[in-house]
Amino acid sequence: MKRSLVAFVLFVSVVLLASGKLTIAVDVEPVGLDPHLVTAFASHRILENIYDGLLRFGENLELLPNLAEGYEIPDPYTIVFRIRQNVKFHDGTPLTVEDVIFSFRRILDPETKSPAAAFYQDVESIEAIDERTVKFKLKKPMASAILPNFAGVNSSIISKKFFESGKNLQLETNGTGPFYLAEYVAGNYIVLKKNPYYFVQGQPILDEIKFVFMPEELSRVAALKNRDVDMAKISEPLNVRQFSTDKYNVFKSATLSYYLIGINTTRKPFDDPRVRNALNYAINRDAIVKTVAFGEGVVTGPMHPSIKAWALPPEEFEEYKYNPTKAKELLAQAGYPSGFEFSIVTSARYNFDKVAQVIQAQLAQIGVKVNIELVEWGIFIKRWRESDFDAFISMNSGSMEPDIQFYRHFKTGGSTNVFKFSNPRVDELLELGRSTVDTEKRKQIYSELQRLLVKESPVIFLYCANQFFVADKSVEGFKLLPNESLIFLRETYKK
Amino acid sequence: MTLGYVLRRILVSVPTVLLVVLMVFVAIHLVPGTVVDMMLGTQNYLTEEQIRQLYTQYGLDKPLIVQYFAWLKNTVSFNFGVSLRTGKPVLQLILNRLPVTLELAALSMVIALTLGIVLGVASAVKRNSFADDIIKVFSLIGISSPAFWIGSIFIVLFSGLFREFNIFGYVPINHDPLKNLQSMFLPSLTLGLMICAQIVRVTRASMLDVLRQEYIKTAMAKGVSRTALIFKHALKNALIPIVTVSGIQLGYLIGGTIVIENLFALPGLGRLLLQAVNERDYPVVQSIVLFVAIMIVALNILIDFVYTLLDPRVELK
Repeated sequence: MKRSLVAFVLFVSVVLLASGKLTIAVDVEPVGLDPHLVTAFASHRILENIYDGLLRFGENLELLPNLAEGYEIPDPYTIVFRIRQNVKFHDGTPLTVEDVIFSFRRILDPETKSPAAAFYQDVESIEAIDERTVKFKLKKPMASAILPNFAGVNSSIISKKFFESGKNLQLETNGTGPFYLAEYVAGNYIVLKKNPYYFVQGQPILDEIKFVFMPEELSRVAALKNRDVDMAKISEPLNVRQFSTDKYNVFKSATLSYYLIGINTTRKPFDDPRVRNALNYAINRDAIVKTVAFGEGVVTGPMHPSIKAWALPPEEFEEYKYNPTKAKELLAQAGYPSGFEFSIVTSARYNFDKVAQVIQAQLAQIGVKVNIELVEWGIFIKRWRESDFDAFISMNSGSMEPDIQFYRHFKTGGSTNVFKFSNPRVDELLELGRSTVDTEKRKQIYSELQRLLVKESPVIFLYCANQFFVADKSVEGFKLLPNESLIFLRETYKK
Repeated sequence: MTLGYVLRRILVSVPTVLLVVLMVFVAIHLVPGTVVDMMLGTQNYLTEEQIRQLYTQYGLDKPLIVQYFAWLKNTVSFNFGVSLRTGKPVLQLILNRLPVTLELAALSMVIALTLGIVLGVASAVKRNSFADDIIKVFSLIGISSPAFWIGSIFIVLFSGLFREFNIFGYVPINHDPLKNLQSMFLPSLTLGLMICAQIVRVTRASMLDVLRQEYIKTAMAKGVSRTALIFKHALKNALIPIVTVSGIQLGYLIGGTIVIENLFALPGLGRLLLQAVNERDYPVVQSIVLFVAIMIVALNILIDFVYTLLDPRVELK
């Protein structure tokens, strides 16, 4: 009793003492505000504080109830959500089952051109069972695989009334999230203010968050030191070292996004899996993490090592043990005893160019000559889409759900299978994985898939870099998630 | 200068502006990757059908020549279209950002001219002295250093030394003039110093030239005071090359603001242009280039006009 009283007093004092306004410097400005349309991460990190989905991610990326207070999967074809009562949109109108159904119908409407439509393409019907229950019926037995999508920004619930009144959601917002959009000065800043109707008691703690857009990292570092901002996204590990932990809180986490070498599996000599696998043996991943990321990153397999429910630890892959002799052996078996020459297309973003240089040096050890083609990002994307490369270096956003992580990349003809990779067993495992509900069985399927992907190597998985937010010592309660979400701003306060 | 002259100049400028815009139009369309590619990135979730629809929606499926004339036709009727990336009207985007860039350019020019002329005159009057050497080194550094480098040094210096100084976070002048000036101080100082270096050199050379003239010697012999001699008799006649260089530099300023606005996180036209080029937001790029081209042409006409004020011998026909 005494302890809970102390906890209560502490909580109240934190809330009372907390200064209401937090200023954050971020690198990129949102490119639109419609939660069903935007793909840019810069938009997502603002919108996830304005809108809610039926589910959300917790601290360890576990799925938690959100606008749905619970869900059931009675069979692999069905998901039933129980919608939370007494939730209001920012304009004060109550959230209803109608809004939920309208939101998903809008996503699925081809006119909307929502990227989330792809997640729900196997949804057969969405219907209200009663005033607070919604049932999703699927065409394929993939209820477990589809579930994490409901926590994404692209699956936010919008107000039917608001949309039908003719509002342009790219410019105006009306969500149920902890903050509402108060001011947006393009090119300068966005101000979010506390939603008085927010359904979680005591949240958000802050009255106001101001996101200031500062494209140059140097400016963000200086603004933080100068106390023009309370918190800033810092990308380079070397810059993070400028901030002593006595005066600053450094929030850090390895991202789900992973660096990779993508390979065009139809071009010679990469049409031979032995050649691709030789690269696995010839690349020293630890050396890349050490030299490019200054040690701030983790070597990754096909799934991020922190997702223990699915990932095979990188140590388990024989191919990851640096072994140039074995690499040469494989090349000799494939008919390239004296190596070969190929090009790596990449851009200067996120240190891709530096990763390419290290790889160039490492592959030279086994007689493979790498030519680096450094191109502008727009050109990179065009060549990526058209599979116009021998190999490329880039980053893919990861997921905690293996189906989302693998299916579109590695399924024959998959929407992002730019590697033109095709393997019947991989296809089979991908279908099996998404249609199985039993977690244990799924784990076996995806373990086999991960081993096969490393052996077949349409992609050489490299590492996941750490991300950083540095804040003034007074900023507390914030947590950084591996999916780079800023959802914990609702629990953040200033002492 | 007659009204006829001005009208003729404007008329002659039209093809120049059109040519500039056409060149930019061709250049940006030659660069691979469209706005749709940039939207999709490497995490493409859209189906081929959805992608095709986007191309149609943005009119990117039409031949280039058709796209150009469609844009030109709309622009002539003051319809600048909407940004492909944000859906906002381009004219509104430009008008929101223009004041920031104009203020930056104006403040930079004030700094550059004041400092440049004072230092240039001092350098000429005190020719071959220690002060002259220092000023020459200063202008050499200014000319040879890139703007982002000088700006970065200022940021590091000021963020460490003057904690109370509001470096970042642009505040519009009508919200709080003092804070606006604070946030504008370093960016305009950076650009101002760079242009100042050129002006110092030209002022020095031009002043030296004038000071050698016979009429200066006559004035001196007549007992005109030193101050009056330098500022009234010499400087006024030395101004024409300075005005020319200032005009050219003002044109360069537009380029300089792209880098500086990005560095100091100012929401100006330069930063908008950079963003639009990166995202292949064609209507925004084309309209900004059109605006800038018109501004530079207008500036040239204005400079010609200033010549006539400075030197009655210059006649515009």
